Amino acid sequence: MAKMPKKSRSARDPLYSPRRIRPRILAFTVDWMSWGYIAYSVMYLLNNYWYHRYVDYYGTLTLPDTWGWLVVVFATLELAAISHAFGHSIGLSLFGLRLLDEEYRPPTFKQRLIRFIWWHLLPVGTIVGLVLKRQPGLFHDTRSKTRMYLIADVKDFIPATKPRKWYLTHRGAMIVALITATFWVGWLVTEIDLGAFFGRMSRSTYIWKDLVTPSFEHFILPETKLTVLGAQPIELTILGGIIESVFMALLATVIGAVLAFPLSFLGARNIMGFSPLGWMIYGVTRGFFNVFRSIESLLWAIIFAIWVGHGPFAGALALTIHTIAALGKLYSEQVEGIDPGPLEAIAATGARRWQVVRFGVIPQIIPSYLAFTLYRWDINVRMSTIIAIVGGGGIGRFLFFYKNNVGLIPNSWNQVGAVVITIVAVVWSLDYISGRVREKIT
Amino acid sequence: MEEKYYAGFMTARPDWMKGMKFIRRRILSFLTDFVFLAYTWTIASFIVNMLAYQEKSFVILPWWIMLIVTVEIAGLWESFGISVGMRLMGLQLSGRGGENTPLRLGRRFLRFLLWNVSGIPLFGLILSTDRGERALHDRLSGLSVVKAESVTSGRRYTESWALAASGIVVATMVAAALFTKVDMRAFFTGAPKTGKFWAALLTPDWSVFLKGLRYLITTIFTAALATAFAIVFAAPLSFLAARNLTHGIIGRIVYTLVRATMSIIRSIEPIIWGIIFIVWVKVGAFPGVLALFVHSVADLTKLYSERLESIDPGPVEAIRATGARTAHVILYGIVPQIINPYLSFTIYRLDINVRMATVIGLIGVPVIGQLLKQYMDLSKFHKVGMMMLLILATVWSLDYFSARLRARLK
Repeated sequence: MAKMPKKSRSARDPLYSPRRIRPRILAFTVDWMSWGYIAYSVMYLLNNYWYHRYVDYYGTLTLPDTWGWLVVVFATLELAAISHAFGHSIGLSLFGLRLLDEEYRPPTFKQRLIRFIWWHLLPVGTIVGLVLKRQPGLFHDTRSKTRMYLIADVKDFIPATKPRKWYLTHRGAMIVALITATFWVGWLVTEIDLGAFFGRMSRSTYIWKDLVTPSFEHFILPETKLTVLGAQPIELTILGGIIESVFMALLATVIGAVLAFPLSFLGARNIMGFSPLGWMIYGVTRGFFNVFRSIESLLWAIIFAIWVGHGPFAGALALTIHTIAALGKLYSEQVEGIDPGPLEAIAATGARRWQVVRFGVIPQIIPSYLAFTLYRWDINVRMSTIIAIVGGGGIGRFLFFYKNNVGLIPNSWNQVGAVVITIVAVVWSLDYISGRVREKIT
Repeated sequence: MEEKYYAGFMTARPDWMKGMKFIRRRILSFLTDFVFLAYTWTIASFIVNMLAYQEKSFVILPWWIMLIVTVEIAGLWESFGISVGMRLMGLQLSGRGGENTPLRLGRRFLRFLLWNVSGIPLFGLILSTDRGERALHDRLSGLSVVKAESVTSGRRYTESWALAASGIVVATMVAAALFTKVDMRAFFTGAPKTGKFWAALLTPDWSVFLKGLRYLITTIFTAALATAFAIVFAAPLSFLAARNLTHGIIGRIVYTLVRATMSIIRSIEPIIWGIIFIVWVKVGAFPGVLALFVHSVADLTKLYSERLESIDPGPVEAIRATGARTAHVILYGIVPQIINPYLSFTIYRLDINVRMATVIGLIGVPVIGQLLKQYMDLSKFHKVGMMMLLILATVWSLDYFSARLRARLK
């Protein structure tokens, strides 16, 4: 038998400290979610292959009206409890937990069964046990005389066992099931149709032919005449469009970087985390970064197109706001990762807080700030080529004009080809230059 | 038979070649100045055109005037101060008495005049003695161009190159603002127009929650499948795109081809790929998968191969020394080193793909962006608010978990 741990540790009953309870809750949540995913997939597949009648337009899950959801919720809860009691589930291995009996041996089947059955009375049983018997401990733990240990705590007491083949373990089988479900359901949901992909290849060759024989007739000279009824000409050339795009990206990057610079200090824990007010500002700044970053610049452009009207200014604003949030987050992570040595040295000379930032923090972060800004510039240039799809201006206006009028305007795919080639040339060369500069400064 | 070579026989160059590097540096310096000044001229013309005539044109005077003026100013700048090109190439004008003796203005002017005769046609440089330091116009004016030993600039903002460089940055920003029609008045007065929209975001319409959820499921599966298929293609391709693993002429050609193709594919946004694929296959989520897949393959190949280029060659050498086959060298020498970064990059890419998948609906792929666009066009802002909420929740949680996972993989 393995050696027992020290008395004092078990006396404090560390099993139910927050540090040990939190991973248990998280592990159970993960398992519940993965069983829920499997349940969803199975129902989707059943609906898709057997019950065509009940499948709605989107081909997603249909359940009996009122009680279907409850069945799913309870069934997945049961399944998660079973996989916790009888096997080493994904959640348990993810959070480093192990089910062992009180002498650090793997529990017997009987113990596991008792554990699973009493798990259903977990809340009631725990309270009753605590009040009547003054026995602290989760109900199913105490009844089955098993415990969920953190592996880190009991490493030294676990007897070495021969591991099974990975695909025979509960965890391995579950992962295989999850991946299979993702591919199978995903294939159906996204309506992947390799037949169309290969079968229509010959029918799409004309596009490729047109794309690689671009027509640069409007590279400098704009389209001025109404070619076909309904297709309004645009007073834009490819050259003008690409300049507009690059300028939009430039404005957004420079203004975004300038505004993100001060904000990044407000969003850094090691600068702000010294007072309750500082924590509040930190939280608000980080929240701002996260929310504004989650909304793509294309969606921002929709909003700004209402705000300031269609045109490149709306696009520039959309890119700017996304740049502020994205750069702000990257910047403040850099500030959080700085070496505290110089800071302490400067603080020891009696310098003020802003002086510490000026002479201790800023010199350390300048190179990575520049690198991130250049990286962002690349993204902005690429994004500014398509932001016209929501009224943001730039070369995309030209691209989407010809794409939308395919069939109305002769050789419009050739025009699209010219635009795409221009975009590739400009984006690629700017990418290359910024890559070289980034290499040099980091 | 043992041959004897004198030390450094490989690096010995004929005398006439020794100066070539310096001459090249001088020519590059002049070209930089010329490009810089021509750019300044163009931007200035644009600003004048825009302010005086409200016309988006970069040309105000005939091109030959610009050519003459910029070349002359470049000559003047190089003679009378340290130009941007000279600063970048580390050059400095020097007199006979060493680096720090002040140069007389007369000599500088003489140099400028002579430079017009011998500098522009370049024969002054070609005929130069002293490895390019003293071209014809330098020699006749008693000056020489030397490498700036130490850049002694105490105050940068008093030097002409720094002033000019910061001036051009400001001018570019002004031109950009004029070109993109920055209209701060519309920015401030237009804000109330969006008031209804912001208010609606806070009070989303829950009746479209399930519909949005269905579109969201499609969105996530689109991103997940695109990423999964991209791994299968990008992982082998990355070995062909790593400089340290491609040897020989064929390897070089393959490396260059793969790298070039991937960077071309990468510079086209998924939305543009989507446009092409929608025509190719039918309208639906499938073109979305294809568009994200193509872009992801290119992006992942680049990220993967950059990681491959920085692997530790030690284990690879050790395993190769045991006489293992190439497959074994890759399996036991390289794969253990790259598996975690690869996973980390893949998660990162999944993150990006989900973001892109939300907006790829703008071109007609049935993902959540399409619903959002529809409701936006109909001005149903409460429904737009619901869609925004769904997108926010998804992107945010994915972002959080992927960051946690990636931190663990480090």
